[in-house]
Parts: sequence; structure tokens; C-alpha cells
Amino acid sequence: MSTLDTPFDAAQPRDRKIAARIWSRAYATVDFKIGMVVFLTLALAAIFYPMVSGIDPTKMAVSSKLLPPVFMGEGWTWARPLGTDQLGRDMLSRSLVGLRYSLLIGISTTILMVAVGAMMGLFAGYFGGRIDTVLMRLTDAQLAIPMIILAITILGVSRPTIPSIIIVLGLSGWPIYARVMRSAVMSERKKEFVRGAMVLGATDLRIMFMLILPLVLPPIAFVAVLDIARMMIFESVLGFLGLGVQPPTPTFGNIIADGRKYLLNAWWIATVPGIFLVLTLTSINLMGASLERARNSIYGGA
Amino acid sequence: MTMANDTQALLSVRGLTVEARGAGGRTILDGISFDLAPRQILSVIGESGSGKTVLARALVGWMAPQLQITAGEILFNGRDLIRDKAYASRLAGREIAYIGGNPAGALDPTMTVGAQLVEKLRAVRPDISPRDAQAKAIRLLEAVRIPSAATRFHEYPFQYSGGMMQRAMIVDALISDPALLIADNITQPLDVTVAAQILKLMRELNTEFSTAILFICSSLPVACDAGDEVMVLHAGRVVERQSPAGLVAAPQHVYTRALIAELPTLWAKGRDGRDALQVRDRQAIMSVRGVAKSYETRGKAGKAIVQAVRNVDFDVFPGDNFGLVGESGCGKSSLMRLLTGLERPDAGSILFEGEDVGTASASRLRALRRRFQLVLQDPFGSLPPQSAIGAIVEEPLKIHGLGTASERRDRARAALNEVGLSDAMYDRLPTGLSAGQRQRLQVARAMVLEPRLLIMDETLSALDQTEQGKLLDLFARLQAQHGFTYIFISHDLTMVRQVCSRIAVMYLGETVEVAPNERLFFDPGHPYTRALLSAAPTLEERRYRPEDSLLEGEPPSPIDLPPGCAFAGRCPYAFDRCRRETPTLSSRGEQALAACFLLDAHNTPVKDSAHA
Repeated sequence: MSTLDTPFDAAQPRDRKIAARIWSRAYATVDFKIGMVVFLTLALAAIFYPMVSGIDPTKMAVSSKLLPPVFMGEGWTWARPLGTDQLGRDMLSRSLVGLRYSLLIGISTTILMVAVGAMMGLFAGYFGGRIDTVLMRLTDAQLAIPMIILAITILGVSRPTIPSIIIVLGLSGWPIYARVMRSAVMSERKKEFVRGAMVLGATDLRIMFMLILPLVLPPIAFVAVLDIARMMIFESVLGFLGLGVQPPTPTFGNIIADGRKYLLNAWWIATVPGIFLVLTLTSINLMGASLERARNSIYGGA
Repeated sequence: MTMANDTQALLSVRGLTVEARGAGGRTILDGISFDLAPRQILSVIGESGSGKTVLARALVGWMAPQLQITAGEILFNGRDLIRDKAYASRLAGREIAYIGGNPAGALDPTMTVGAQLVEKLRAVRPDISPRDAQAKAIRLLEAVRIPSAATRFHEYPFQYSGGMMQRAMIVDALISDPALLIADNITQPLDVTVAAQILKLMRELNTEFSTAILFICSSLPVACDAGDEVMVLHAGRVVERQSPAGLVAAPQHVYTRALIAELPTLWAKGRDGRDALQVRDRQAIMSVRGVAKSYETRGKAGKAIVQAVRNVDFDVFPGDNFGLVGESGCGKSSLMRLLTGLERPDAGSILFEGEDVGTASASRLRALRRRFQLVLQDPFGSLPPQSAIGAIVEEPLKIHGLGTASERRDRARAALNEVGLSDAMYDRLPTGLSAGQRQRLQVARAMVLEPRLLIMDETLSALDQTEQGKLLDLFARLQAQHGFTYIFISHDLTMVRQVCSRIAVMYLGETVEVAPNERLFFDPGHPYTRALLSAAPTLEERRYRPEDSLLEGEPPSPIDLPPGCAFAGRCPYAFDRCRRETPTLSSRGEQALAACFLLDAHNTPVKDSAHA
């Protein structure tokens, strides 16, 4: 890494692309490696474990219900390393399949949210004037409707499938991003280099997407990573209300909702998906934070 | 307290050494020693990187975290500020005041100027009542000649012009009656006429308030104008200290001699007949006629129309170096936006190679932009911060869809080499580049499209003299190779005198004079040009004395322009007609034009034919 730190004048081997330098600098940190190992383990386990182990997460076995995780009480067994729930379903398998759905919902919701919000903010902030007014009043209108009421209304009328949940959550969360994006774009738009690009003959769209968006998106994306967790939790809130993903499909939301009733005698039902949630988000955040730091230090002149 | 001269000197710096921390730690200041007597004005001059600003900030105890004072002492009234931190922080803002070169950044935009001054005074002297503090602030605002100070007291910084903000900063520094004022590059961002007034003001304040001043600047003429003595700083050392006259007449150190030798002059070299060399039988590459642009602003007083540009007329011929000079707020930047098609004029025409930039369709304008380019002023703000150097230079080619990826790369590398940047920088960020290198990069970006006309908007004003010289050489070389035509928009008369063949002078949005270089400098046709020349920082014998050329004050507001000639209010020669009618550009013969009624006395105006 030391070559990256030498100032400009030194004769050095060819420089790599900036994006490559950011990645390699982030990769050099311990945080990033830990995050990556944890995330990859979880992802691989979620993809392969239910298949390889041959355990069906929805298969009930009333005889072995409410088994605790290993070493955690009476009657545990290696066959059920994280115990079973009230219907005797394997918690590990359920949590890993739940992780699939929760990640799917969390990530796609956030992407939808950021995409819609960023576009609204970008257009409003860049063009200003009447476009800004119209888009921002739309945003205000959307902000005025509480997310949960919107979700209840829509999901109560239509069938709560995974795509509809993603759309409902995504379309109710974008106004904050639109607001943040708009102000960031407005301040960048006034800068000299934007004027410079205009004089070079760049079109508005080119300036917006090639010049301004890469500058303002990373901090927003960083916040969005945190929102993945929020969206997973929102999904569980919906599940709790009976408007989430319908059983028997496991998601973190409905597992936790189920486990609530057994919290006193089978704490693990609610805890295990919670731990998975924490691990997933921590690993994503660790990677995100090191990327952000690497990015700042590279652009800061190191 | 032991030495006799310590008690005499107000400030006494002994062997001050400042080093940058970390690997390869440089010595920024190397054993600086000097004394400053009470009431003395000491100018400190040096090129950028010589440690001037570090010195100024070390004196007020404001050091960047990576810098460290490793040796020496700063004695103020005999007590060491470096060791006695409590004493130093008690002095800061009271006895020692500091004014920086960026007044816009130093004032809080959310508070009125008056409130900030009062707050500053009362923080230092809690015993003064708010009412007295206000009275004192207004008195000082009057002392620095802020017009109608009592009303201006309640205005916000954005309502002040650059010169007024700098004055307000001086008030902010003086309000606590300091014994020492450190002025770091305060005139650099100002226009010559305003800077001259500020300098005059500093001298008056020095006598009136008996403040010692350490006046730091990078321009030798200004330093000589301002100080009782001039101290030359070079590579972190004091190389020379003399009275201004002595310094100019008999410089001791090699560096000072070089500095004086390479100082561009306005008149000293005399006429070299370059006006005569110009051929004017070609078609103009850019021809501007009667261009006007006004903006609507909404303030407390309701809507107002700001006439930023009006009656602008000039022609630029192929191969010319055309200069456009004027003070800030005279509409140079608005005009630049019109010339480059960023905004459309309200009236008039801007013909570039026969096509009107002002009315061209968006796609036509984009095509035209391949042939004229703009190089912006701010070396730091005008490059996209997160693009690699190579990508910045390739961008214009991508925008216009020229060449394949590898051709673009080759052209970008060639352009980088031509402006003197190594193509090893291709994949690096511009973050570590100096201001001069950044301006080279901007030039590379502009010329990669092989334009015919380059508009330089104050491109050199952020650079020091040496770096300016190098870039001017580069421009000349590029012009010889590629046949560029340049328009230099500038407030720097010495630079314009060096390079431009034809010069237009703007005042309050109007072109008041258009003339070939030597005619303008040796025989200006408009009193405003004469005023500009009288205020230009130079060590030479002045051809025009400030007292004869300019009345005290600032230009009128472009919101409600007085009838008649806009300059009449500051013009010592103004007569009745000037306040009734607006003069238009009329020929003075030999391609020189000026808009002044005084000329009528000598020759009859020839309308229009003018620009040939």
C-alpha cells in the first residue's frame, strides 16, 4: 500500500484506476475482511445449507418441538443445532431461509427507495424552479401519509406477496432520500466545475448522471445500508400485523412474531433470527464503513 | 525582558522555526527573526510557499495540526507567546488582531455585520454596553469609509461588496483597539482601485489608532506601497529587510533582485510599436454588438432590475490576445457567461465566426462549443473533485463523441504533455496538484477539442507572479502552435499590458474604452481608464496620479443607475452633460474607441464605423 501514499512527483509504476485503489485500500483493512467473511459465510449458508442438509424448513415434527439450541438446556441434539420452534421446525434452516427472504426484501426495498428518491431529488435539485416545486410537493404529500397506514391499506386490499411488499415499502420510504438528494444536488450544481462542463458542451443529463450523481450518491448509499435493516424490521412489523409474507414461508419477521408467544419458555425462537439479523447488518456495515473511509482518504489526497 | 531592544519592540520574533510533522517533514520557517516597533508598518513579501501565511498564523497561535513550532520565541511586549499559552490566548483578538484574505468566508452569513462587530467587541470587553459598542462599531465603519455606515450596520454580509467586506473585516480587527494588526494578503482578492483605497486606509488608521501592522502580501509593488519597511521571505528565511525605496534601488539578495527584475512593468519599457503590427483586414472571429443583460432580484424593497451588462461592443480578430479589464462587479463575469452561451443576452448580438451565440439552438450551441472554450478562474472549484486527471481531459472528447477510447486516450495524453503535465498523472486525482498545475490541467481540457477561441476568465489571478509568467509562456507557445485566439478577462493590468494586443475596459457593465495595447496605456481616452492605471500596483513612476484621476468612493449600484455617464460620480472631469446623457463608444482614430464626452472637444464622434 505504501506506493499509494507517495506524492505525485515520485516515479512510480503505473497507477491503477481510482476505483481499484479504493477497493484495494478498503480490502486492506481488518474491518472489511471480517465483514466480508461473515457476510459470505451467511450468504453461502443461506444459499446452500437448506439444500445440502436436506432439512425442509417448513416440515413440522411435533414430537421434537421446542428443542433448545446445543448446550442450552435439556434435550438438545446435534441434529437441530439451533433448536426447533413450537411446531418442531428446524430453527437453523428456518433462519437461513428467512435470511434469504429478508435480505431480498430489505435490499430490493432499499434500492427501490433510493432509486426513486435519488431521481426525484436529482431532477428537482438540478432543474429547480417549477420542476422542483412540483416534485417537492409530491414528496411532501407522500411524507404526510404514514408508512404503516399506507402499507395496511394497500396490502390489506391486495394479496401480500413479496413483490407487493417490496413495492409498498419502497414507495413509502423514498421522500427522505428525495429531500437529502435535492439539497446535495443544489449545492453541487452551483459549483464551478458544473459550469465548466456546460461550457465543454455537456448535456444536462450527462452532467446530472456522470458528474453530480457520483459525487452525491455515496454518502446517501451509506445511509441506505442502514435502511436495509430498517426495511427488514418493517417487514417483520408487517408480518406481525399479518400483512407480511404469509406462513409457512419463513422470514425474520414472522419467525420473530411467532417466537414472541414462547419468549418465556423458548427464548431461542425469537433470538436466533435476531442474531442472524445483527450479524448480517454488522457485516454489511463493516464493509460499507471501510469502503467509505477508503473512498474519503483516496479522494482526500492520500 | 533583559535586553533593551525587547522593551522597545512591540513584537520580537527570534529564531522561529516551524516544521511539518510526519515523514519527510519539511522546514516551513527556518530561524525567522525580526522586530516590529509600535506603530510601524512592516510588509512581508514572498512567493507562494515561502511561508508567509504560516508566519502570520504562527504569530496568532493558529497552526495547522501537521505544523509544529520546533524552535524560537515570539516575544510580544517581552513575553513569549509560544511558552505562555494562556497569555497568548488572552491577547488573541484583543492586542493582536488578524485579517485574512477571504472576507466572505470570515463573516458569519447569518448575522448582520453590525451584530458580529458588537459581539466581537463585547466578547473581548464585556464592560462595554451594547449601545456604546454599537456606537463604536458605526464610528469605525465610518472611519473605513463605508457609505451610510449607520444603515449598513444592520445589513448582512451578502449585501456588502467584496471591498466593503474587507473593510468590515478591518473594523472587526480594529474594534478591540489592538496594538498589532496582522493583515494576511488582504488586498489580493480586491480590485486595483479598491485595493489602493484599502492601502491608503490602512496607513491612515495606522496614524489614527497607532496600531503596528504586519502587512503580508505577494505583490512587490503593493508591499512597497504599504510598508515603512519591506521584509523579503524566501524559502522560509528572511533574506532581506529594507525600506521600500532602498529595496527597489539596491536589492541585496539574489532572490530580491530576481523578483524586481522579472516584475512586469506598465510603462517602463516604453512603446515598442506593437500596435502598428496589427493587421485588421480580416473578419472578426468574435464580434459583440450592443449586448445587454439584466437580472431580476428580489429583496426587501421588492423587485429590482440589476443591469449587469449593457452597451458592450467589441471585435476580436483571429490570432489576437484580446483583454477585457475592469473592476469586480463591472459585469466581466456576466459577460463571460453571455459569450460562452451559458446565458442568453436580452439584446444585441454575439457573433462567433458568423453565427450568433446568443440565439443559437441548444444543439447548434453545443457544436459551436467545440470551437470556443472557457478556462475558469478558480483552480480548485472548477475541476470535478473525484475524476482522475486523464478522465477530466478526455471528458470533452467523450461529450462530443470524438474518436475511439484509445484515440481519446492518446489525445488526452498529448494535451497533458503539451501543457507541461506528466502523463504519468493520467490515473491520479487532481487533489495533490498545485494551483498552477490545476490551471494547466484546465487549459489541457479546453484545448483537447482544438478550439479556435479560448476565453480565459481570470485564469491567472490565483497564481503568483512566477507561475503566471510560466503560464503566459505556455499560452504563447500554444498560440504559435495551434493558432488560438485568446480573450483574457482580468483585473490585472500588468498582465494585460504584457500579453494583450487589444484591450476593452469595462465599467458598470459597459465597455467604456476599446483600444490597442499601447494606445490604452500611453494615451487612454476615458477618465476611468486613467483611474485604473493610476491605481495599478507598480514600482514605476506613475503616468497618472491617483489624486487627479479618481474621486473617493465606490461605483454606484447597478440596480438604480444614475442617468448619464455611469462614471460621472467618481470622475474629476465630469461636467453637466455627463450627468444628463450617456456617451457611446466613438472612434479616436487608429482603432481606438472611447465613450466620453470629453473627446468631443477634440474630434467629432464617428459613429459605428468604429470597429474596423
